Amino acid sequence: MKTDYLKEFLLFVLLILTQVLLLNRISLFGIATPVLYIYFLLKLPMGRSPYYVIISGFLLGLIIDIFLNTPGMNATATTIIATFRKPILLLFYGRDIHDEYVPSIHADASPFIRYTIFIVLIHISLLFFIESFTLFNLMNTLIRIAVSFVISTPIILALDSLTFRKKPGEQA
Amino acid sequence: MRNLFNFIIRNSHWLLAILLIAFSLYLLFDNNPYQRSVFLSSANRVAGWMYSASNSVVSFVHLKKSNQLLMEQNAAIESELVQLREQLDTRLVADTTGMEAVIPDSIGKAQFEFIPARVVNISYSGVNNFITLNRGSSDGVKPDMGVISQRGAVGVVSNVSDNFAVVIPLINPKFRVSAMLKNSENYGSISWDGNSLSEVQLGELPKHEVYQEGDTVHTSFSRIFPKRIVIGFVSSIGKSRDDNFSTFNVRLATDFYSLQNVYVIKDSYYEEQKVLEEALLQ
Repeated sequence: MKTDYLKEFLLFVLLILTQVLLLNRISLFGIATPVLYIYFLLKLPMGRSPYYVIISGFLLGLIIDIFLNTPGMNATATTIIATFRKPILLLFYGRDIHDEYVPSIHADASPFIRYTIFIVLIHISLLFFIESFTLFNLMNTLIRIAVSFVISTPIILALDSLTFRKKPGEQA
Repeated sequence: MRNLFNFIIRNSHWLLAILLIAFSLYLLFDNNPYQRSVFLSSANRVAGWMYSASNSVVSFVHLKKSNQLLMEQNAAIESELVQLREQLDTRLVADTTGMEAVIPDSIGKAQFEFIPARVVNISYSGVNNFITLNRGSSDGVKPDMGVISQRGAVGVVSNVSDNFAVVIPLINPKFRVSAMLKNSENYGSISWDGNSLSEVQLGELPKHEVYQEGDTVHTSFSRIFPKRIVIGFVSSIGKSRDDNFSTFNVRLATDFYSLQNVYVIKDSYYEEQKVLEEALLQ
């Protein structure tokens, strides 16, 4: 149990560093940026208390904002995702999974992929719409959302298939 | 009453979520750069330190290009020096025979000082582009100071901490500066439409303005920059918001993709001019 929290904290820090120092310097075709840090919220165990999920989601966004000088932008998006994570999980996994269950591509690929696509799409849409609140045309924003989504999702799925491998049958 | 309490307790995580989202939205819309605390920007100590650490690695990649630029600049300065020396020589001879009644101040106070700084972080992935520099208030950097590179204008300082400063670059939609074509007396306003990182728009120029592709665009009256700092070169005629004015697309002189060394401009008359001008507004 303790090691779970430690692992989550390490993931939290690593994802922020990767996002800020590496991914945000990538600007594909000048319009799209891979957004990876939301992976942290994807991987929290099913039964985590909503307070824990919401507060960690908020902190995740806030720290990213501090580094990127976009006060409130990422924080708004991640807090909204964190709030609706549980209903979304139930939507794709059904009610019969236990509280310790960590969503993973190894355990059950199909719902995990659908769940990831759904969350990443909402998150990136929120992010880019908030970013372009006052300025710029809708078409531009939609293209940015589409391209960022298309590059972010495979990165997240690939990352998940590389890490947190557990032998089948072993309890999480 | 008890039902109400039960309801609140059962749903308190929703309340928490609403509070946090409200707080985020407050941060989002309260975007007055001067009021925003330095703590919540990349000028804060931890973020600044981390960016400098990663930049010391990244800057190796640009070393060759930076070197090339420095050499070019060196050459330009060298030739200017020679020219000025020649001028000075001829002047000195002429002056000594000339008028002696007025003795000009031998050491005029320089209006502009340049504080060299290094870029520790630059973001150009979205709409809210910014640059973080490794110089802060302890080096004399203040908000509203202009920033230039070897090639041309870069932006304006917005937030400052002890050791770091955040710059709003030309490629940020919040940035406006007055500018003009080199061979003209009409001035317009530089803004960015968000489409290309190497192009800004020069708008609000009169319709009759004559131009040629490649014309130099430089700063005009501005409290931020000295006059005649190069911004870029006219590349094409752009879309105008109305029929009375024309808009040009301007290819930026500064290459934001490989920006490493910049100068912060310290205007010693800034406060004086500001006080005087603002006295009129009240």
